[in-house]
Amino acid sequence: MSKLSTRHLLGIKDITEEDIQLIFQTADNFKDVLNRPIKKVPSLRDITVANVFFENSTRTRLSFELAEKRLSADVVNFSSSSSSVKKGETLLDTVNNILAMKVDMVVMRHSSPGAPHFLSKHVKANIINAGDGTHEHPTQALLDAFSIREKLGDVAGKKVAIMGDILHSRVALSNIFCLKKLGAEVMVCGPITLIPKFIGELGVKVEYDVKKALEWCDVANVLRIQLERQQIKYFPSLREYSIYYGINKQLLDTLNKEIVIMHPGPINRGVELNSDVADSDHSIILGQVENGVAIRMAVLYLLAGVKEG
Amino acid sequence: MSSLYLKGVKLINPSSEFHLKKVHLSVKNGKIDYLGLKETTNSTKAIEGKDLIVTPGWFDLRANFCDPGMEHKEDLTSGLKAAAAGGFTDVCLLPDTHPTIQTKNDIEYLKSKGRGKVTTVHPMAAVTLGRKGEELSEMIDLHHAGAAAFTDGHDPIWNTDILLKTLQYLQPLHGVLMNRAEDKWLAKFGVMHEGVQSTRLGMRGVPVAGETIMVERDLRILEYAGGKIHFSLVSSAEAVDMIKKAKKHGLSVTCDVSAHHLCFNDTYLSTFDTNYKVSPPFRTEKDRKALIAGVKDGTIDAIVSAHEPQDEESKKLEFDLAEFGITGLQTLWPVLNQLDIKGELSLEQSLLAVFAGPRKVLGLEPVALEVGADACLTVVDTSAKWTFDKKTNLSKSINNPFFGKELTGMVAAVSNNGLVQTTN
Repeated sequence: MSKLSTRHLLGIKDITEEDIQLIFQTADNFKDVLNRPIKKVPSLRDITVANVFFENSTRTRLSFELAEKRLSADVVNFSSSSSSVKKGETLLDTVNNILAMKVDMVVMRHSSPGAPHFLSKHVKANIINAGDGTHEHPTQALLDAFSIREKLGDVAGKKVAIMGDILHSRVALSNIFCLKKLGAEVMVCGPITLIPKFIGELGVKVEYDVKKALEWCDVANVLRIQLERQQIKYFPSLREYSIYYGINKQLLDTLNKEIVIMHPGPINRGVELNSDVADSDHSIILGQVENGVAIRMAVLYLLAGVKEG
Repeated sequence: MSSLYLKGVKLINPSSEFHLKKVHLSVKNGKIDYLGLKETTNSTKAIEGKDLIVTPGWFDLRANFCDPGMEHKEDLTSGLKAAAAGGFTDVCLLPDTHPTIQTKNDIEYLKSKGRGKVTTVHPMAAVTLGRKGEELSEMIDLHHAGAAAFTDGHDPIWNTDILLKTLQYLQPLHGVLMNRAEDKWLAKFGVMHEGVQSTRLGMRGVPVAGETIMVERDLRILEYAGGKIHFSLVSSAEAVDMIKKAKKHGLSVTCDVSAHHLCFNDTYLSTFDTNYKVSPPFRTEKDRKALIAGVKDGTIDAIVSAHEPQDEESKKLEFDLAEFGITGLQTLWPVLNQLDIKGELSLEQSLLAVFAGPRKVLGLEPVALEVGADACLTVVDTSAKWTFDKKTNLSKSINNPFFGKELTGMVAAVSNNGLVQTTN
């Protein structure tokens, strides 16, 4: 099999394990390309990609843009920090305006869950979800699983703890779907107010004690506290959060094993993760960033090969 | 047209001697002039068919015609057309308009604009000014002007003291307070039912507790104050159970459910289709089944259309930005018919909650199907198929999951106010 089962990447929920493996194999090849002196291939030479970001993003946008350029695609960027609706133009109008300029693929980040699904029903271009509110962030989950596979040899059978603000995290949800599809065991851990009440029904373990979670896992994927997405108070203070839910070297030293530390970035240093962990040998955080480009190249390349109908 | 001849149709009305029998019924000059088992000669062209049913006229307890204020979504004229096409002889209108229906002039506007139509308008008035939950409206005056019931519509009465005073104040009038059970804090930001589905979709949920704590609160105040309360749009198994127990304890409580809550659950939201975005939200399959059981055992007194028109600009949007609601008037009958075909809820049970239950909730006399009576009746076909599309839709809005689909079950005729309206 060399084709994806879908022409959009809306979420991990909607793709198969075979799709994920195909993306990984393709990313392996692109990672080789990225380590060559000439890092560019002509694969998407006739393709125009629009990066449409309705929410702030630095690294995801940069990563996508680099991936697109490495594949020789033409790239246009649109970003608006507030939703276009507030400006009086609907999402559909904005994207149709961009598509009228003959764009083939749209990479979109938006604050509303399901916004890329909505778009995929109304426009012809291939859609890649670069994060939709608190729903999914599929390329992040793919690069996270790819990084675990690279570090530990395989994802199947590994124990992964996702730590922190699960409620507001699209990374958590996509990671859960992705890791489960690949056969890993998954646990979520954080303050009870930041853990969705029904998350256990997705087949994950739930733990409120950070130390116990760390003792259980092979990999801890520490999430950013999404202060910007919290409309009301979920915990009293960052001080208390960092004391009881933050991860530091002292805590890791009490474990009788080595675990891998991941973070999707950007890190709130001293809140969910201390510098003595983020910059240590435990951490594969910069490896994740590097893999992000390869994974996004793979997704863009494979989706460009799936035509409508 | 004021005459009608029904040939060999099944009559459903438990208080009639002809209940569940094939009858022949004739209407002349707005009155039933013949009803019997034997055929009679009649100059009017007969409506006949083996799958026809006649019942007393249908009564909807909850529709929003958006008039005055948002006539681009619906107005009284289009709303009444949709109501008649949906089989309704009577429809209660929400006061959720701009301005709010809260003075006798507002009531008179709706009544006079609705006069002379086959479907009778029953305006409901706001409990509090501007539906803000702070100052009481002049409920006695509104009652005498013809307000059918009192409600703050989409907004629950969150102030317990206002709730208490309303229940007390309405007692001499035998007035009914219709309240939605929703805690505004727990429902805040929620766009669907809180459960495994909302978790999978990354959407903010409205927990069942948001409904149950308000039902419990309202029942406690009712116990203390006396009076009558009607819960609009119950959505959870727990709420049905609480109301069932309260009824057993002799409290004067009634409730309704929307037809679409009887056929959809939260799994329908998996594609982010905003046509399924309603408030209260579609809950789990267990809740849907409990709502059906509630209709069967009489805990739920009425099935309503919950007709909530929204223009395209309010629905063709990202899910969390879209407005809530479905236009329910023209699809209530196909929904109930489908539930009967699937064996989930028989028409004898569901239709009772459409023609008898609502009138009982409001303390109105039941409609009799007998010779000499004013002809207030609805005739439906259980097997006729039709497509709900631009041509057949009579509302100004199309926010309905069934739009564009072929449906089984057609309204054949309605008769009321001396008028007869037939389909085709």
